[in-house]
Amino acid sequence: MGRVVGIDLGTTFSLVAYLDQGTGAPKCIVGPEGLAVCPSVVSVDPNGKIIVGDAARQRLLTQPERTIYSVKRLMGRGVSDVQSELKIFPFRIDPGSDNVIRVRLGDNTFTPPEISAYILRELKSWAEKYFGEPVDRAVITVPAYFNDAQRQATKDAGRLAGLEVLRLVNEPTAAALAYGLHKQKRGHVAVYDFGGGTFDVSTLKLISTTEGDIYQVLSTNGDTHLGGDDIDNALMDSARREIREQFGVELDHRGDETQVLRKSLIRAKHELSTADKTLIQYPLAGKGMYVREIQRAEFEELIRPIVARTMAPVKMAMADAKLRVNQIDEVVLVGGSTRIPLVRKTVGEYFERAPHCELDPDEVVALGAAVQADILESGVKTMLLLDVTPLSLGIETMGGVVAKLIPRNSTIPASAQELFTTGVDKQTAIDVHVLQGERELAKDCRSLARFQLKTPPGHAGLARIEVKFLIDANGILQVAARDLRTGEQHTLEVQPSYGISDTDIERMLEESIEHAEQDFAERQTIEARTEAETIVAATVKALADPRSREIPSEERGAITESEAKLRAAMAGSDYKLIRGNIDDLNQATAHLAEVLMNGALQTALEGKRLDDV
Amino acid sequence: MSISQPQTKRAEGLPVASCWNCKGAVTGAHFCAACGKIQPLPAGWDYFKFFSFPQKLNIEPAALEGQFHILSWKLHPDNFVRATEFERNLSLERSSELNDAYRTLREPISRLEYLLERLGVRKEGTTKQQAPPELLEEVFELNESLDELREAREGGGDVAGLRARLETAAANFLDKLAEVDAELAKLGREWDAAIDSGSKSAKSESLVKMNEVMNRRSYIRNLVAGVQKELAEA
Repeated sequence: MGRVVGIDLGTTFSLVAYLDQGTGAPKCIVGPEGLAVCPSVVSVDPNGKIIVGDAARQRLLTQPERTIYSVKRLMGRGVSDVQSELKIFPFRIDPGSDNVIRVRLGDNTFTPPEISAYILRELKSWAEKYFGEPVDRAVITVPAYFNDAQRQATKDAGRLAGLEVLRLVNEPTAAALAYGLHKQKRGHVAVYDFGGGTFDVSTLKLISTTEGDIYQVLSTNGDTHLGGDDIDNALMDSARREIREQFGVELDHRGDETQVLRKSLIRAKHELSTADKTLIQYPLAGKGMYVREIQRAEFEELIRPIVARTMAPVKMAMADAKLRVNQIDEVVLVGGSTRIPLVRKTVGEYFERAPHCELDPDEVVALGAAVQADILESGVKTMLLLDVTPLSLGIETMGGVVAKLIPRNSTIPASAQELFTTGVDKQTAIDVHVLQGERELAKDCRSLARFQLKTPPGHAGLARIEVKFLIDANGILQVAARDLRTGEQHTLEVQPSYGISDTDIERMLEESIEHAEQDFAERQTIEARTEAETIVAATVKALADPRSREIPSEERGAITESEAKLRAAMAGSDYKLIRGNIDDLNQATAHLAEVLMNGALQTALEGKRLDDV
Repeated sequence: MSISQPQTKRAEGLPVASCWNCKGAVTGAHFCAACGKIQPLPAGWDYFKFFSFPQKLNIEPAALEGQFHILSWKLHPDNFVRATEFERNLSLERSSELNDAYRTLREPISRLEYLLERLGVRKEGTTKQQAPPELLEEVFELNESLDELREAREGGGDVAGLRARLETAAANFLDKLAEVDAELAKLGREWDAAIDSGSKSAKSESLVKMNEVMNRRSYIRNLVAGVQKELAEA
């Protein structure tokens, strides 16, 4: 078994974290840029190579037709669901899409779980590089308000990335966990999670028992299509309108110029969190320069309706939890968008207290996921998360009305039983339509799945089949049926309304690049060899340098010998051996590195390695 | 807030089964006393037994919550991630039962409804509604007002005036509802006393009365819900 990590698969940024056994605290793992955040951007090369993260984000500007951002907005949704998004986001939906969206990137099409899987795989490789060991299991977070299809899509993504998903944890709950560890507070907590694409609010009760701490979610609400993206789009609309008026230019929302403008507007947005005003200068090819000073006050007016939209779910969550504002002990802010002063002010005013933001709002969810991952992996439980299902579960009955089986905010796992029988003589199948949502009519709720109960022909009312609906700890529905007359399990064929079927996932796993890609050890070897090449080249160069004559000949001999050992190791595929020899060569050349600097620099560069010089 | 362990009670009247793991005797407990393995739910169990509570209608909220937390800690799927699939399924079964039980027993009305259903006095899923005879006149007036409001909305009548009348009527019925709830609380205490005394006749009398009041309650509640819905649309 490999290592376990916690992953925040975010709309804009994704992160991976683990629990440091030494300190007992969770820690984010950084990527090649030295940052914990990986932009949730994926790009496909003309030769089919997949690029994820910062490098892919660059390609948004140069090759937007091969690059996708905010794919989380497409997870678990069908083509008709995303029509309104297409006007704002440059998603290129393939006409062959139906209840699973297929996105075109360059010459290929991908489903959202496949694209998310590439992001997960990137994070997996960050972690594997850091640990020097394989990573095969993860806890992945999802917005609390994600429905069944969206959760299943996330699980599918994990599977496609070669990760066993130990648990899906709701983002606000994960944040509360990280926060609770940090602060050791008890009582009622409200978590306001305003991310790139989704908004969640949860109310929790933190309790200490003799066994350990319980984080009990009382209620959750949100909007899976409300986030920082909407603020960016509002800025974009405004800018595009002004550019049209001033220059008569209509920017194609799918083009790369739009991405360049978007990038500068996002930068401006960030600056307005600390400055009162900011300046945008955007060159329009051949037409001049769009120069615009944006005042913070003006920005706030523009986004006020978006921020206001977050307060309706907040009020509903409080009402569902039967809590008054003065009963909330702490308010925690999560998500990059909570850095905006207007957001902090609005939340603070509603809860009548200053919200907490000591923990990095970008990292806190991943940190919480890492804690939960450790609990599940080690079996040592010091805390328990009791989460809830955000949406009521029901079945469609006569007249298209929904009969609710499991109410929203029920603690999970939760279950309900329903007895089915035939309505007419000789009926051979009973159709069941499962839905999620709060509305009365099935057409206004979210279709989850349909299944058929096969019945042997007989009189109406003779069949007695009990169906058990169970929402598991991931918030995903499981259905089982039992024939009460025979006492046996009854066969079900469940058709999910959205998402990839199990058979298709299996096929994808077979076809996927994962199998063409090198396995873990091979990859480690290649990386080790690359590093070794760098240091060998640096050593050769250093020994050729005239100043190197200053070192004693025994030392020179030791360096040459170490270099030879490393070259020998590089010819093999034992990456541990290669790394060991890299360390030895570094040590052997440490003095030489010092000598090659002049005296004044020596103190400043203390501790530098040969290949840093 | 710290919670102390309750005393384990022997589940009465249940057939003694044997543990699937060590074959030791299990009496409906969540875990086998001998080997500690999680057990399947016995047939005929109810939510009260799940919490080791008597079938009484007055439950101290703190006691229920305390048990809920203790049992959650023990039964949650988190504890069984590395166990066999059989045990994982048992955990799923028991913890979903725990959560369903807690949800039901938490609120006095759902608690009572559950009891009535378990004891066969009330059929699950069917809510009989009985118009309280003393309210028949008011109910008649209310329905008239509702009809008038609908007509007024279409034909342009005195919507505001009718709304006001309906709001008063709704408030009136909410008061009636509060009275009914008070009566149910009293009947609940009678039931608990009957449990203590063991008197069969007292018990059945209590059940019949409670069922009747529940029917009245359902009627009034639906009435109020209907009015509120109508008012929300105007």
